[in-house]
Amino acid sequence: MMLDNIVTAIEALPDVSAARRAALDALLRLGLPGPHEEQWKYTDLSVLQTLAAEDIAPNPDTHEFPADYADGLDALNAALAGGQQHRPIDGQVRLDTGRHGRYHLTVDGNAELRLEDAGDTRFATCFITLALAPGARLRLTRVLTASEAAHRITRIAISVAENARVDIVTIDLDARFARHDLAVALDAPGATAHLYGLYAPAGATHLDHHVRVDHRAAHCISRGYFRGLAFDRACAVFNGRIMVHPHAQKTDSELRIANLLLSRKAQINAKPELEIYADDVKCAHGATFGRLDPTALFYLRTRGVPEAAARALLTYSFANEIFQHIHPPELRSEITAKFLTRMDGGAGITELT
Amino acid sequence: MLEIENLHARAGDTAILKGLNLTVNAGEVHAVMGPNGSGKSTLSKIIAGSEDYIVTDGRIRFEGRDLLTLPPEERAAAGIFLGFQYPVEIPGVSNMVFLRAAVNAQRKHRGEPELEAADFLAWVRHRVKQMKMDPAMLSRGVNEGFSGGEKKRNEILQMLVLEPKLMVLDETDSGLDIDALKIVAEGINALRSPARATLLVTHYQRLLDHVQPDHVHVLSGGRIVKSGGPDLARELEEKGYGWLDAA
Ligand SMILES: Nc1ncnc2c1ncn2[C@@H]1O[C@H](COP(=O)(O)OP(=O)(O)O)[C@@H](O)[C@H]1O
Ligand SMILES: [Mg+2]
Repeated sequence: MMLDNIVTAIEALPDVSAARRAALDALLRLGLPGPHEEQWKYTDLSVLQTLAAEDIAPNPDTHEFPADYADGLDALNAALAGGQQHRPIDGQVRLDTGRHGRYHLTVDGNAELRLEDAGDTRFATCFITLALAPGARLRLTRVLTASEAAHRITRIAISVAENARVDIVTIDLDARFARHDLAVALDAPGATAHLYGLYAPAGATHLDHHVRVDHRAAHCISRGYFRGLAFDRACAVFNGRIMVHPHAQKTDSELRIANLLLSRKAQINAKPELEIYADDVKCAHGATFGRLDPTALFYLRTRGVPEAAARALLTYSFANEIFQHIHPPELRSEITAKFLTRMDGGAGITELT
Repeated sequence: MLEIENLHARAGDTAILKGLNLTVNAGEVHAVMGPNGSGKSTLSKIIAGSEDYIVTDGRIRFEGRDLLTLPPEERAAAGIFLGFQYPVEIPGVSNMVFLRAAVNAQRKHRGEPELEAADFLAWVRHRVKQMKMDPAMLSRGVNEGFSGGEKKRNEILQMLVLEPKLMVLDETDSGLDIDALKIVAEGINALRSPARATLLVTHYQRLLDHVQPDHVHVLSGGRIVKSGGPDLARELEEKGYGWLDAA
């Protein structure tokens, strides 16, 4: 794949460190993942070639660079972010994921991390690793409501130590193109992860969310509830993978994916995957696909609710199963309102909620 | 108020209603009885505007207006209410949001101003109390996890909040224990007035002991085959529906 725009953008920086140059070399050597790879079957990164060099906007700051890279995308992020920032986090922390960034964050106590991207930058990559110490608590909320021209790639990897717990909510509404990878590793007994996510692309958006939970130790709990909606000509991809490693006995895991297609031209590819290498485990998973229930629509209309508002109300009803987990309540109201105003007939509902 | 003339309707290729005539005047309570599968729900849903059926002949007028060209929401705003045989669950939308959406939409359609939130809440609470329901239900999802009886009670609650002109109640009595049946009957009776009419669609006589009908009709084979006074309901209760076919 041609990466001229990226090379040009980096070369145009006033000062290119040797480490950044090494990251760029690694990118050129490794290349970006292509559609022949299983994890990239439905999402084609060649779309990045359509970006102009001035839209790449590398972060001019420099931090420490890693010695090697997991893949070309990892190197791309380091080259654009200018290396990785390390910091412990505690209490409430916000990060803008609408700019290139790379972070390694550690949580010892109790942290609430909000990753927000309501930006109008054309391109941003944000890679974050999070390490939870034994007994630590993290509430992670990632919200994407970027501009229609935004291209986003995020990768979040979380390791959860003994008796630590992570609660994650991801909401993906607006962008032109987005690929998110979220990986949670339950590394020691008593580690718990609760994941809730909504992906709801509209217009011509392509949105891909890959989620993976690794049960690497015995007595860990994971819950994943994801809902997908596709409006207009949008395309949503969701892949949820639960991996139960040998020795991870007494694993308790559940992954549910529900999807709603709201237009004939919209597409959703969603799949749960379960790989189990231990014998004493409790694992449940499933995926459903549907359209708005005509009987429920009729029910609402017989009460006087016009058709467009009835559709909006039922769509909201479907999404609200995820919205209700957003914390704090002000953020929940803000996102709900944004979601509703995207729909004909949705504006009236905003006042009711 | 409601005039149905020579109504023919089908679902897919199945003809269900085959020349049904029925006139309901303001102030009256009519009961439509009939065996299972005779088309009672079909008739109720067609009055409310269901798109599951195709009307192939005949007409329905409500207060002189042609009803068949109106979408369900406009029929509701005109004053028609259907109590569903199988009320729908809408998880994630609370009963309160649902009621407000319905009342606001109907008022807007009629060119009336929206109610103040506090006034509306007081109004709904009054009706909840009348139906002897737990006010906590207002923040629960519409019919979410409700028992069959609770769902039917919720239908009558919605009706009391909306105060329609024509109440079409499809098997509202089924699934109710005797106490709930009385509360539901009281709810229906509370709205009886010279300006309103009721169409009770039912398989059994039960509800009619508590809501006295003025007229009773028997629906069979897609048509009204017999009409009479309250005695007819009792006769049906004793003899069943079989004797009508023979007659
Ligand atoms: N949507 C539909 N599609 C096909 N057949 C239907 C549909 N609705 C009703 N029917 C058929 O029409 C007949 C009358 O049904 P219904 O009106 O539900 O009767 P009742 O309410 O009197 O029990 C039944 O034979 C039923 O199977
Ligand atoms: Mg029926």
